[in-house]
Amino acid sequence: MNFDEIFGKLQSDVSSDISKQVQFGCNFILSNKGNFKQIIKLLKESFDFEYLVDVVGIHWPENKNTPFEVVYNLYSIKNKIRIFVKVFISDEEIETISDLYKSALFLEREQYDLVGVKFIGHPDLRRILMPEFFDKHPLRKDFNLKDRSWYNDVDEQNLGIKYKHL
Amino acid sequence: MDEKTINDSGKFGDILTINMGPQHPSTHGVLRLILDIDGETIVNTTPDIGYLHRGVEKLAENRMYHQFIPLTDRLDYLASLSNNLAYCLAVEKFFDLKIPERANYLRVIFAELARISSHLLWLASHALDMGAMTVFLYCFRERELLLDLFEIATGQRMTSSWIRVGGIREDIPDEFISKAYEFVEIFNDKIKDYEGLLSKNRIWLQRTKGIGVLSKEDALNYGASGPIMRASGVKFDIRKFEPYCVYDRMDFEVPSFEDGDVYARYLVRIEEMRQSNRIVKQALDALPEGPVMTDDPRVGIPSHEEVNERMESLIRRFYLMSKGFTPPRGDVYSSIESTKGELGFYIVSDGTEKPYRLKIRAPSFVNLGIVPLISKGHMIADMVSIIGSIDIVLGEIDR
Repeated sequence: MNFDEIFGKLQSDVSSDISKQVQFGCNFILSNKGNFKQIIKLLKESFDFEYLVDVVGIHWPENKNTPFEVVYNLYSIKNKIRIFVKVFISDEEIETISDLYKSALFLEREQYDLVGVKFIGHPDLRRILMPEFFDKHPLRKDFNLKDRSWYNDVDEQNLGIKYKHL
Repeated sequence: MDEKTINDSGKFGDILTINMGPQHPSTHGVLRLILDIDGETIVNTTPDIGYLHRGVEKLAENRMYHQFIPLTDRLDYLASLSNNLAYCLAVEKFFDLKIPERANYLRVIFAELARISSHLLWLASHALDMGAMTVFLYCFRERELLLDLFEIATGQRMTSSWIRVGGIREDIPDEFISKAYEFVEIFNDKIKDYEGLLSKNRIWLQRTKGIGVLSKEDALNYGASGPIMRASGVKFDIRKFEPYCVYDRMDFEVPSFEDGDVYARYLVRIEEMRQSNRIVKQALDALPEGPVMTDDPRVGIPSHEEVNERMESLIRRFYLMSKGFTPPRGDVYSSIESTKGELGFYIVSDGTEKPYRLKIRAPSFVNLGIVPLISKGHMIADMVSIIGSIDIVLGEIDR
């Protein structure tokens, strides 16, 4: 089953409009906040996309309407095909897919930490790579690399590690 | 997290929370695990990472494409050549480049030698964690030969930065081929030595069989790639499913086992070393002559000899090194079967000489997500073998 067949069947199942794009050999499905989870669920259940490879968050401050983009990287071992589901979102919030794929538990936490996209419904949305007292998101384009004022918050005694979640 | 019932729950009173790491000899780096224990039994595990976070993805946004190659060495520092390869393949996808045959074969040779070297270090440290000191010394003896090979060809033992966008930096010296053949000839016997020490060793079997069992469904659901996935019965290998370089011409098997425990992961990695050795031998036999860098003017860096002879090459080299190259707008993803699993680079280009966004799909990072699941109900001492079996590298997890 190739990309065109999968997309054709998806288009008839999903009521709202979706579009496809093939770029440098990668297959993209462009969707919106309302229907992306339905698409991913259909891909998982009807087309054997059992393996969620990656979740990528991208900040586009120039796009005033959709400043954030989330890309889901799905692979079907049975059909030997990789599909990327692109979602453009107008605010920082998007529904989680960690109920469909457990690998999203870690991947979404990382994107929340670094890009600042909030995954609504994620059971354990904490920072993962940056320290917990850090209040910025480093992979946003407006993050100032030379601003070190956050370092003043580091508590020298316990090295800034606060175990709030325990 | 799926709930598992603990039989002796409540027998010893309250749940105790203790730290394992970040300074602990068996966590292979700065990994901190918060263990909730009931007596000696682990009830819950919370991994805490980020102690080695260097912001590699942010650094990439402020660097030209060529300048990022040395940083990829520092991700999975045990197999730096695989990381170079994964990154360069992703950038090459923008240009639809035709890579010279010799460079492709050399890339395969070095990716597989890096796999053997990384698996040897894994076997050495994993066996040492279990108390088998001899295997550690044997593995390091052979790994030394590999590091010498890397030094002959790339000038560096570990962080080699040798693969470039469009080919490789420089052709290998003649002595490399004979030394590589020497290694390939002896290595199959050495694998038999390791197996003789471990595979039927009663202590080894007791420490590994039935520990950290991961089912096929969970392996897929948690996205655990590489040897962990194959030890759980998912026969997936990117070298077979999405062949890159010249893997489609190589004859090799993908080992997979159904048990999904620590012992199955050990068997998979031992068999992978044997298959990698086969691939290296085939690639050495078929290694063609010719250039090692593409002559595509957009990215191909002229060699030093050309620069000394031709004015145009000097200009082009100077231009590429100082200004860089500009890929077209768009998104690209490319992944390879790295030693730890699927290593992918997702690059967003906005048409300038620096990446707009670069996301590294680090296999160890996703594989770490299975630790809370597979450690539940085991003893603290088994935690050491579970962490060892998933083969984490903290440089890659924390990036």
